[in-house]
Amino acid sequence: MGRRVAVVGAGMTRFVRRAQETGKELAWEAARAALGSCELTLDDIDAVCLTSAPDAFDGVHMKGEYLSEGAGAWGKPCIRTYVGGGSGVFAGIQAWYTVASGMADVALVVAEEKMSSAQPHPQGAFLTIFDSVLERPLGPNLLWIFALEMNRYMTVYGLDKRDIATVAVKNKRNAAGHPSALLGQADITVEDVLASETLAWPVQRLDVSPISDGAVALVVAAEGVAERITDRPVWIEGVGWNLDTAYWTNRDLVFPEYVANAARMAYDMAGVTEPRKQIHIAEPYDPFDYKELHHLEGLLLFDKGKAPEAARDGVLNRDGDLPSCPSGGLLGVGNPIAAAGLMKLAELFWQLRGEAGVRQVPGSPERGVAQAWGDLMQVGTVVVMGTEGLRRGAAAGSSSAGPTPPDPGSAGPGSLTVGTRPDPGTAVTTVSARTPPVAPAGRALSDVEFRAAIGAVEHPVDARYEWDTGVAVGGFLEGLGEGRLLGRSCSGCGRVLVPPRMFCERCFRGTDGWVEVETTGTVQTFSVCHVAWDMQPLDPPQLPAVIAIDGSDGGLLHVLGEVEPGEVTIGMAVEVVWRNVGERTGSILDIAYFRPRRGEG
Amino acid sequence: MLEKITLPGEVRRWPGEIPVRHRYTPGRAGEVFFTALRDGGVILGSRCARCDVVYAPARSFCERCFAELSADAEVGPMGELVSFTIAFVDVDGAQLDEPVVYGLARLEGADTAFLHRVLDAGEEPLEIGQRVEVVLRPEAERTGSILDIEGFRPVEGSAG
Repeated sequence: MGRRVAVVGAGMTRFVRRAQETGKELAWEAARAALGSCELTLDDIDAVCLTSAPDAFDGVHMKGEYLSEGAGAWGKPCIRTYVGGGSGVFAGIQAWYTVASGMADVALVVAEEKMSSAQPHPQGAFLTIFDSVLERPLGPNLLWIFALEMNRYMTVYGLDKRDIATVAVKNKRNAAGHPSALLGQADITVEDVLASETLAWPVQRLDVSPISDGAVALVVAAEGVAERITDRPVWIEGVGWNLDTAYWTNRDLVFPEYVANAARMAYDMAGVTEPRKQIHIAEPYDPFDYKELHHLEGLLLFDKGKAPEAARDGVLNRDGDLPSCPSGGLLGVGNPIAAAGLMKLAELFWQLRGEAGVRQVPGSPERGVAQAWGDLMQVGTVVVMGTEGLRRGAAAGSSSAGPTPPDPGSAGPGSLTVGTRPDPGTAVTTVSARTPPVAPAGRALSDVEFRAAIGAVEHPVDARYEWDTGVAVGGFLEGLGEGRLLGRSCSGCGRVLVPPRMFCERCFRGTDGWVEVETTGTVQTFSVCHVAWDMQPLDPPQLPAVIAIDGSDGGLLHVLGEVEPGEVTIGMAVEVVWRNVGERTGSILDIAYFRPRRGEG
Repeated sequence: MLEKITLPGEVRRWPGEIPVRHRYTPGRAGEVFFTALRDGGVILGSRCARCDVVYAPARSFCERCFAELSADAEVGPMGELVSFTIAFVDVDGAQLDEPVVYGLARLEGADTAFLHRVLDAGEEPLEIGQRVEVVLRPEAERTGSILDIEGFRPVEGSAG
């Protein structure tokens, strides 16, 4: 499995609501903090691994190229990888293969996000993740996906919202000790979370991580080099990632199988056979409080539906049996998307070296797992890090298949030249005694300063798009005009696909033909949404729902009508209410809404 | 399965946009640069002593060696035209009433060029390498914007 790879340095900026610094300046601050933490300079870096989430947040098309100089990429091989919200943890995977392959001995890993640029709200950039033809006409916002997933998770397992809210409380309390944190709060209570504004039921404001600006960087090095940089490298023991279908309404919304697949890949590489025993700390992705629990189950650290009671019982606390998000996570430290993911790897680095200060998990943890989630809400990215590397356990055998580790003392090809570094055979470096920067860079602007900053400018995204329906959806829309719901059948897996597609993404074969399905279905999950994408109030609220159409294997996103919010239940039988024939336009809105089913027919 | 589209206007399509605008802060170096431009009418660059490079406009770090920089080098107002283009159409391809000349100029004291309009191209054909001078807006009209510079005006002679 290639050369062993270790993290040898880490740095980050403050996470703030509105940063004075440009994205480049944020990236540079984090990168130089990481280099400084292990006493390297840019001259020591062979390659740069860069990541940032959607361009539309910073408002810079080809953001990777824009950020490259702040990431130290001038004159070096560099590429930006991108898997949406999973990007920050994926950067660690990218760093691993860049170094394990032998391409670079020392790599700088940088993640940046500046979400404050997007006006009036970064959610505007998210609207295009919804299907332009089938979903966007319904007026969706990003909260729908989370609310619909959270409701189904809570309902299927009979969970108490209080137990989920303890995650937000834990993380904001943990973050109170983090010098970079935006929303650390030592005295927050579950009651505060439960009393916060309902955005899209069951999601309330304090269930959600904040929009943030910030950057994080790591330095990684190959075996034989890492030991010369620090006497306490933290090894990347396993990496994994996995994608589910992009048809999010067709997914299992209760259990993130793609996270489990990614975790199995990483655990297998790391030789972890009993995750609950062998993983000592976890940094699961927590943009919403329930997501941390969802992901802990996906990481196979708790049985399905059992993470909430672990949260309630204190198991996930910093002094609990399985500390989760000791950093404070996205809910407490902040959520500059890609940077927040890489922050989780930085936290494992600091925790496993015993350098996390007041955040330090007791008991000298030796192995941790970090995870993030993203793309079209379908990717899981997982990294296992440990102080022992692959020296023990099942993976030790596989490492012997790789190249022989170079003698750390030799000056052969790929050796690191660090001017004043003492001979590693005798040196006890001072690096390991360092603690994370107590005064991280990054200056928060007040709202007034942000509006009035000299030289600041505002520009619209001056582009309009026209999206074709494509073949399958075009046929589906024609059916709607005739008052019929159409799917496509796949004889490979036996599914009837709604929304229809011309190929089956599982079997990777052409679908076989059109099938008319029922105009009735079952509510798989629903939300009561009180805000639009720009956070303006909606009155009356919308009732988005994922509906399993009878006679199909798919779920369809639409809205409910002719029903009071309090009367909707998961499992409710519903039926299509069509627009009048003369008013139909061949649009998803030819279905006016779904209403509770009335008798037979 | 794939059909040739012969009547593009009849293809069913959904119009849309990404409904965001962006507010860009100029950053630490940018704030110093724009304050000096507005209040003093001077163009500031940043010198990296280690790399022996002067960046203009000013930057907060050296992209080559990562050193922290300050806006410590006043550059211009004279400079050299590194390249230019004459635009006849706008971004949507529509004909402009008057062509607009854009140029890259390396100001005296700087090693890097930056983009602005070229003013009064007039009768004499522009030449790469010729001397240009920065023209500023009157102080009372300056707001702390790159448009506080009206543009580069060609002057007699080639740049040294």
